[in-house]
Amino acid sequence: MEALQIIRSDNPFPSVCAYICSHPCEEACRRKQVDKPVAIRALKRFAVEFGGDRMVRSEAKTIFPEKNAIIGSGPAGMSCAFYLRKLGYPVTVFEAHSEIGGMLRFGIPQYRLPKEVLDGEIRRMTGMGIEFRTSTPVVSLDLLFEMGYQAIFVSIGAQQSRRLGVEGENKPGIVDAITFLRETNLGLKPAIGENVVIIGGGNVAIDASRSALRLGAKTVNLVCLESRSEMPAFPTDIQYAEEEGVIINYSWGVKAILGKEVITGVELKRCVAAFDTDGKFNPAYDESITQVLLADTVITAIGQVPQIPESYGLKTRGSTILVDPVTLNTNRKGVFAGGDASSGPATAIQALANGRLAALRIDDYHRHRYPRSMEEESKSSIGELSSQTIQAIRKISRYEPPLVPPEKRKKVFQPVEKVYGWETAAEEARRCLRCGSGAEILFPDKCAACLTCLRVCPYSVPRIDQNFDIQIPADQCQACGICVTRCPAMAIALRKPWDRRYIDEEMERYHQKIKITGSKPLIIGFCCQYGLFGTSLLAGLWKTTGAGIWIIPVMCIAKVESYHFLKAFELGAEGVFLAGCGEQCSRENTITEAKAQIKRARSVLAELGFDINQLQAYLPEQKDNNPEGTPEKWLEEFIGHVGSLHLKSLLTVEEKVDRSKSETFK
Amino acid sequence: MIVANQKPLNEIWGMVAPYRRVLIVGCGTCMTVCGTGGEREVAFLHHALRLIESKSDQSNHIFSEYTIKRQCEPEFIEMLAEKIQDKDAVLSLGCGIGIQAIAERFDTLPVLPGVNTSIIGMSTMQGVWLEHCVACGECRLDETAGICPVARCAKGILNGPCGGTKNGKCESNRDMDCAWILIYKRLEKLGQLDKMRRYYPMRNFQVIPRPRRLIKLVAGGNGDGQLSL
Amino acid sequence: MVNSLFEEKLNSSEFLITTEIGPPKGADISEMLYLIDLLKDKVDAINVTDNQSSVMRYPSLGGCLLVKEHGGEPILQMTCRDRNRLALQADLLFAYSRGITNVLCLTGDSIGVGDHKEAKPVFDADSVQLLKMIHTLESGKDMGGNDLKGIPGFCKGATVNPEADVIAPQLIKFDKKVEAGACFFQTQGIFDVAALRRFMQYATRFKVHILAGIIVLSSARMAKFMNENIPGIIVPQNIIDELANVEKGKGLKKGIEIAIRTIKAIREEKICRGVHIMAIGNERVVPEIIEAIKVPSPL
Repeated sequence: MEALQIIRSDNPFPSVCAYICSHPCEEACRRKQVDKPVAIRALKRFAVEFGGDRMVRSEAKTIFPEKNAIIGSGPAGMSCAFYLRKLGYPVTVFEAHSEIGGMLRFGIPQYRLPKEVLDGEIRRMTGMGIEFRTSTPVVSLDLLFEMGYQAIFVSIGAQQSRRLGVEGENKPGIVDAITFLRETNLGLKPAIGENVVIIGGGNVAIDASRSALRLGAKTVNLVCLESRSEMPAFPTDIQYAEEEGVIINYSWGVKAILGKEVITGVELKRCVAAFDTDGKFNPAYDESITQVLLADTVITAIGQVPQIPESYGLKTRGSTILVDPVTLNTNRKGVFAGGDASSGPATAIQALANGRLAALRIDDYHRHRYPRSMEEESKSSIGELSSQTIQAIRKISRYEPPLVPPEKRKKVFQPVEKVYGWETAAEEARRCLRCGSGAEILFPDKCAACLTCLRVCPYSVPRIDQNFDIQIPADQCQACGICVTRCPAMAIALRKPWDRRYIDEEMERYHQKIKITGSKPLIIGFCCQYGLFGTSLLAGLWKTTGAGIWIIPVMCIAKVESYHFLKAFELGAEGVFLAGCGEQCSRENTITEAKAQIKRARSVLAELGFDINQLQAYLPEQKDNNPEGTPEKWLEEFIGHVGSLHLKSLLTVEEKVDRSKSETFK
Repeated sequence: MIVANQKPLNEIWGMVAPYRRVLIVGCGTCMTVCGTGGEREVAFLHHALRLIESKSDQSNHIFSEYTIKRQCEPEFIEMLAEKIQDKDAVLSLGCGIGIQAIAERFDTLPVLPGVNTSIIGMSTMQGVWLEHCVACGECRLDETAGICPVARCAKGILNGPCGGTKNGKCESNRDMDCAWILIYKRLEKLGQLDKMRRYYPMRNFQVIPRPRRLIKLVAGGNGDGQLSL
Repeated sequence: MVNSLFEEKLNSSEFLITTEIGPPKGADISEMLYLIDLLKDKVDAINVTDNQSSVMRYPSLGGCLLVKEHGGEPILQMTCRDRNRLALQADLLFAYSRGITNVLCLTGDSIGVGDHKEAKPVFDADSVQLLKMIHTLESGKDMGGNDLKGIPGFCKGATVNPEADVIAPQLIKFDKKVEAGACFFQTQGIFDVAALRRFMQYATRFKVHILAGIIVLSSARMAKFMNENIPGIIVPQNIIDELANVEKGKGLKKGIEIAIRTIKAIREEKICRGVHIMAIGNERVVPEIIEAIKVPSPL
């Protein structure tokens, strides 16, 4: 749930993004330098579906009086509405259609983004106080100003398909992809023949082809000017399309559409180059090489342009609205524009980001702030991983979210991709390098340059600089936490607070609990959250033993120190255990470290007359068929062992009591 | 580095038990480096003592912790003054120097040793120190190719090796290299075997009489850097 | 000047035989006296060991006194482990005054191999320095530079190990001991006559007298034990095997046989001046060995 809260603080509809985002974040993910990037999008979907989304509220209060109008309820418009509302402004979204969502609803097929998901987010937005007015096309901006709106954001998208400009384009049986998709997504089941040819190489073309398959087409041919690598559509979607049976014909242009009353086929001419030497889109053909594809339906998806009403009085550049790149202002005061309407067709996440930017700029406008240039996303302030570090990092293959097999999925509009389960999500999340949240020498005056951190680091990260001081470069540190627990001067700490799950604080809470309620723990367990030992174990624990087992969640067992174990016994526990991911831990040496800490604690326990098996560790050697057994089984045995020791001590007390009783009876 | 070992836990508990409010003082230099008496070890000892107390029939101890940068400087020791005021005893995890320095400055309080100071050690790898110098005051490392026979020969002889060396190891400890075989090999490498052929007379054990004092003032003052009684 | 009967014998050309007695751990010297009587006329000199292997025993000086009193020729084994230079010098003066003038100078085994592991090791001097020390006393001064009232004279010896695995440093040490005044050497146990031969080729550059050490083993187990625990002794595998191959109870017989064989080889080839028989607990068999190696006198 914590993850979901963090996600929602920065993204207005994470559930939508979880399904369809093109994940530029994964391109920037530093795990890529090791093997494959972390599957951030899929993990966000997991967070959304399992993070108790119902319990995470989106609330907003009206602070300012300035009313804002947003034209178009696509991703740009909704994002702008969300952020303006969060900032405290009244917002009304005007949507010409009867349904909200823009391209998210009409352009993206159900198998990529189910309706319910979008509806959920819209409900949340209404719950925040955003007013939606559907079936309300805006004809004049002046009217809006007269109605009292002080700022208008024009985000009408780009919904008008370009025309092919070839012979036979006006025959029946040709439809543009936008119309086709809209009808499909509204459930209207547009009529298509048996042999469908789609023209275009972008995402819209791919969506149209896959939708055509699902509507029952026998053959679906996609024709595009670009080569495979030049195709602008998402590579994974191209792959899914091919798996489902779409035939992709690269480097072909359309010469003519054949047939008299009905379409019989499409004549293609070879495109020798889609881009010229300057990299500009400028197709060149070899008209002598042609082929004919059988077709009774042709869907065109060769680009869209915005339909900008003249009455708006907005200056354009080419087919899109002209905006100031800094303020997002159009030529009219108080009128802003964004999304596909000003950029041309782009991805949903770009529209979302643009909407957010617009909201901030509109806020600046209302509050009379000096327009400053766009705050650049801080350029990567973190360096590349050195080859030495990369070598030391455990290679774990990326867990792709499970897919429905192509034969099944091409028949239905159900989502193609399934969500992670708890285990796979944890396994994928473990691959994260925790960039920037690593260790730093917080107290350099305490550092005695003993070189322990240098020697125990599994990644050889700490360095000695010219002044013989120790530096721990943030761009190499893998945040395993081993140097933190080993530093003899306690001079090192982890940078980011969410990784520093304060074990001492948790234990102090338990200490207070004992003082107040008088209850004592039978067993205290330090459980690694990366291995889900808190969640899944707990569920099992409450079933078998109920109260008596107190869990202290830790973010990796490398953070537990020997004195924590002593403290646990001091709190009154009869048994203490440490449960971790074992061989599956994504960090090196955590098992040896944990065992060393346990050994140290046990030496003290042995001196004090404890049975050293009252302190044990569950560190499974492998994922399945582990010789130590499942966590539940191991824990049962441990509880049994501790319980019998406890019982023994109780029995000796009872014996004494009995004996004295029987004596009094005599 | 001065290297020490922590005393066994029951020995420490035995010393500390009669006193109610005990300040555990760590040292931020040598004792931190050898992992015996730095801030982390002070914390660990604190918890261990508390655990012992919770299992014993006593319950009146109040332990507190404080680590100073070094226990061999009077100015750093002075910084203990405030913390020490209400205490009944000090448990010092500093080396023998530090323990005595604290005892001298705060002579109304018992100062207990938490460690056994043992060697001047060279760190070879994490957690391992070898005694390579015994501060004899008569360094002759030029004669023995940089390997000290006084520290590293079990018998400390100057005309070695003795007859007990086997496989290059010392008769008293099969894991220890015979220092004189090491010296021989390195002198051979340096082409200086004639040094080993010299007769070395008996050591002057009065070079630095015990207790010893070395006066050396760095800036100003009148020390001349020479050893004196 | 000849300082002792043994030194006279060294100056002759006889094949010499010495042996050693280890004093008792305690005040009961009856066994030691018995052995002294058994051996005194059969050997040219008897060594009395000095807390050998760092095990506390009746002192070698006392043992040598008993040897002298009973008419034998003692060799005082003096180690540097237990006494500083004052004590060493004082003991030497006493030894001289009682006619004990043969001294074998040893550094001494380390404390750790013995039975008083917490004792303080002294090692104020080493074997070379002890030889020089004796030389200094013989010149009329003590180690503090003071003149002596009454100047002693000694026949000095030391040890050497011809079978050491790294021989070069041993030879350097040997040279130093000769320079420091050693006139006789008793070697560590010899099992490989060829090694002794090689050593002797080097040693004959000096005018010193070498007696080959002969250890009488009694079992393979004893041999292995000595290899592991006794400094300076290296029993080769073939000897251990030879001992292992005999029936139970016949080990000592085999040990004696090996000793005799080795001594005979040394004597026949005239490799060195003599032998020093170390029977370590089995001193009673020494006469049998001596008998067996006797060259029949020409009649």
